[in-house]
Amino acid sequence: MSTPTQVYEPFRAGLPPLRKYWKSLWSRRTFISEYSRSELREQHFDSVFGQLWLVLNPLLLSAVYFLLIVIISGSSDSTRYAHLTATLFLFYLVANSLTGGVKSITAGQRLILNTAFPRIMLPVSAVVIAIFKFLPTLAVFLAIRTVLGLPFAWEMFWAIPVLLITMLLALGLAVTISCINVYFRDIASFLPYMTRTLLYLSPILYEASDLKPELRTLELFNPLFPILDSWSRALVHGQAPLTSHLLISLGWAVGIFLIGTYFFLSREREFAVRL
Amino acid sequence: MNLPSVSSSHKTNEVAVSVRGLGLTYTTAIDRRPTLKARVKSLGRGGKQTRVIRALDEVNLDVEYGQVLGIIGTNGAGKSSLMRVISGILPPTQGRIEVYGSVSTLLALGVGFNPSMSGRDNVYLGGLAAGMSRDEIDNHFEEIAEFSELGEAIDAPMRTYSSGMYARLAFSVSATVRPDILIVDEALSTGDARFKEKSLNRIKELRSDDRALILVSHAMATLEDVCNDVAWLHKGKLVQRGDPKTVITAYREFLQVGKSAAIDEDV
Repeated sequence: MSTPTQVYEPFRAGLPPLRKYWKSLWSRRTFISEYSRSELREQHFDSVFGQLWLVLNPLLLSAVYFLLIVIISGSSDSTRYAHLTATLFLFYLVANSLTGGVKSITAGQRLILNTAFPRIMLPVSAVVIAIFKFLPTLAVFLAIRTVLGLPFAWEMFWAIPVLLITMLLALGLAVTISCINVYFRDIASFLPYMTRTLLYLSPILYEASDLKPELRTLELFNPLFPILDSWSRALVHGQAPLTSHLLISLGWAVGIFLIGTYFFLSREREFAVRL
Repeated sequence: MNLPSVSSSHKTNEVAVSVRGLGLTYTTAIDRRPTLKARVKSLGRGGKQTRVIRALDEVNLDVEYGQVLGIIGTNGAGKSSLMRVISGILPPTQGRIEVYGSVSTLLALGVGFNPSMSGRDNVYLGGLAAGMSRDEIDNHFEEIAEFSELGEAIDAPMRTYSSGMYARLAFSVSATVRPDILIVDEALSTGDARFKEKSLNRIKELRSDDRALILVSHAMATLEDVCNDVAWLHKGKLVQRGDPKTVITAYREFLQVGKSAAIDEDV
């Protein structure tokens, strides 16, 4: 008799065989791109007005927050506006990954119950969708920056590693929260409060350097703090980010990604009975 | 796992699926929708949050190529659980399952997981998730669309589908993609009379010496007509296995319903 193509046996707690998992995930990468494309198409982002909305929405948001800053602080300038838009857009990359990720597993119920595939594909797709929504806003920011007459500097390219770190962090957060939502379905309803708090704790409406010394401990607990500060330094001020900030944000991103993925992979085989 | 049968032809009577000592227990949340709020509220009380379900117990089952195996049993007997273990969706708690050949990892009901997307998108996504390539789905898509007779509705969001349209698309997918081992779970039981007839004929066409078919259904007359082997599951245990007529008669006696129209009609 020939050897079996598949053998299913009870699994021990912990991680599935990673090499096999990765192979299976990699062979399904088209699913991820196709899923993101269908999702964006379904939300009409393939039409002109859909694209326009994609850009208009964060622009209106930044206008509202700028109004808030002007009213509270009494004055403002173009750098402040550039800082606000740059950081707000990047913040929304993370926030959209969270809101897309949180329900990715529970919404994929039918598929999970009836198809064998690496479950992590679903939160990964949510992050890919968030990235696709982010890219046009980055272009808008660069246009705004030019209009405001901010000088170009080579240090701006520091934004690339910062963006990569942010994507890793967003992925880690989406994977973690999608898994938590399987066990506690009301996490999705708490999420808006959490993202709102994160927004105010991050250097978006203010610059990191404006923060009172006694409040500086805040940045120790917020992975977005060093990321957004580095992003603003690079893209708005054309300066190299602080090395410490880069290292701290990389540490956060890798840490959250590893912990979240471990948590997810060791749990995902029982998702089918939990849904 | 690779869906379309890649010519490695299987001979009749070779084992397709071997299930040995299969047990499946799982803990499931008592609340249909487990929440943090409910958890926190019940903290002091120490009530149990989960209960253990024994879905399958010491099941031994071999399926050979050339066999058309019908699985019968009351609701909750473990039929769907068994299918999910064989297709690798649920890991077993005990025992060992060996699968020789490509099994349809996409059970019919997986189609249409995202109701806001069109039927077309759902077919593609379901297929890609099951490990098919885009080209493979492209090759099958026309046939799927045609068989389902959905016409232009294939491009409408699936939330606009009636349950019959839904079932038609689901069946078309599982009956068009041709794995070595095909599992059809209940997808036969919906749709109008004409489509039932059509799907029954398709199942008959799919019977071949180098394919194993596993049909889960409550439609006794159909199973008697199509299958050459029937297994009866009850409360997670395999009660009887063998000649369709014998097993189905025994099952009917067990149910004490006799050969009534109600269970025959439902194709």
